[in-house]
Amino acid sequence: MNSGSINELPSDADWEQWLARHAPALLLFARQQASSEADAQDLVQEAVVESWRRQSQGGPPPLALVYATVRRRAIDLARQDERRAQRETAAHLEAPSCWFDRGVDQGERGLVIQKAMGKLPEIYRDVITLKIWSGLTFREIGEALEIPANTAASRYRYGVAELRKLTREVFA
Amino acid sequence: MNDHQMERYEAELRRAKPAPPPESFMERLRASKLDPEPARPHQSTAAPARAKASWLRWLAPAMAAAVVVATVARVATRPSSQHPVASNDPPISALAYGLNADGVRVDQELVSSYDVVAELPGGEPVRFRCRKWKDKWVVTDTNRGVEIEEDSPRIEVMPVRLETY
Repeated sequence: MNSGSINELPSDADWEQWLARHAPALLLFARQQASSEADAQDLVQEAVVESWRRQSQGGPPPLALVYATVRRRAIDLARQDERRAQRETAAHLEAPSCWFDRGVDQGERGLVIQKAMGKLPEIYRDVITLKIWSGLTFREIGEALEIPANTAASRYRYGVAELRKLTREVFA
Repeated sequence: MNDHQMERYEAELRRAKPAPPPESFMERLRASKLDPEPARPHQSTAAPARAKASWLRWLAPAMAAAVVVATVARVATRPSSQHPVASNDPPISALAYGLNADGVRVDQELVSSYDVVAELPGGEPVRFRCRKWKDKWVVTDTNRGVEIEEDSPRIEVMPVRLETY
């Protein structure tokens, strides 16, 4: 990454490298927040551009900020369209798309996890997604979800335990 | 679940990789590389936010004035057939502008979207969702072969109560 000056823009290489690294997990998180694939993609694009733009030194934004922006935009979107109730129920029962890679030996695993994640309460699902697939620390998760780090950690433990029960048939 | 079981299960979960985004979406993301616009540091303290929000007081009158000006301009550039004129003199609009617009196109472009946090006089925090638009008008007079383009910025502000978060 280039050393930044005020308002310096990322180079094409930096930009594409950052997107390639983080876009899959960001889209995974957005898909869980949105009621459609199109909404999820719009959320990621808007959050990424806005977060980069906020960086006065031209470097990449903190991941926690990007995830927090995705989440806030999802809430705004749901409120605007009066779809909040749908977002919390139907969106996860009727998943907009496949959340996980369907490579060899991964298809079944991904579907089982996606289905189980859809049954988890949102407060657990968000923390698990950010910890497992986005690689955030509990402090960063706390910043992204606007909760204390300790709360994030305890939700994670409860959530993983619940998820394990739901996937017991596949993961012995 | 003990720590060992937990670690094993976490490793199983990590083996499932997030689905790769559609290539069309990645193309869109790459293309959205930032425009050269002054960076806005994220501010969440109330005092700077109050200063920032002070200009919002001028927003409503400014928008009202802009609407009036736009309406007057539109009426003035309307074709003369819509203005019954008693005499044979050309309409005032034609004299003033020398144009008889027969085509008007209006485009909107979202330039940026950001949040401002402020505090109401009672101390209640409120978040404003701000969107900056660029409105573009194109007026065409095909008889004279004239096309006039005009851009104007517009700011849309939507208050959102923090307590709902």
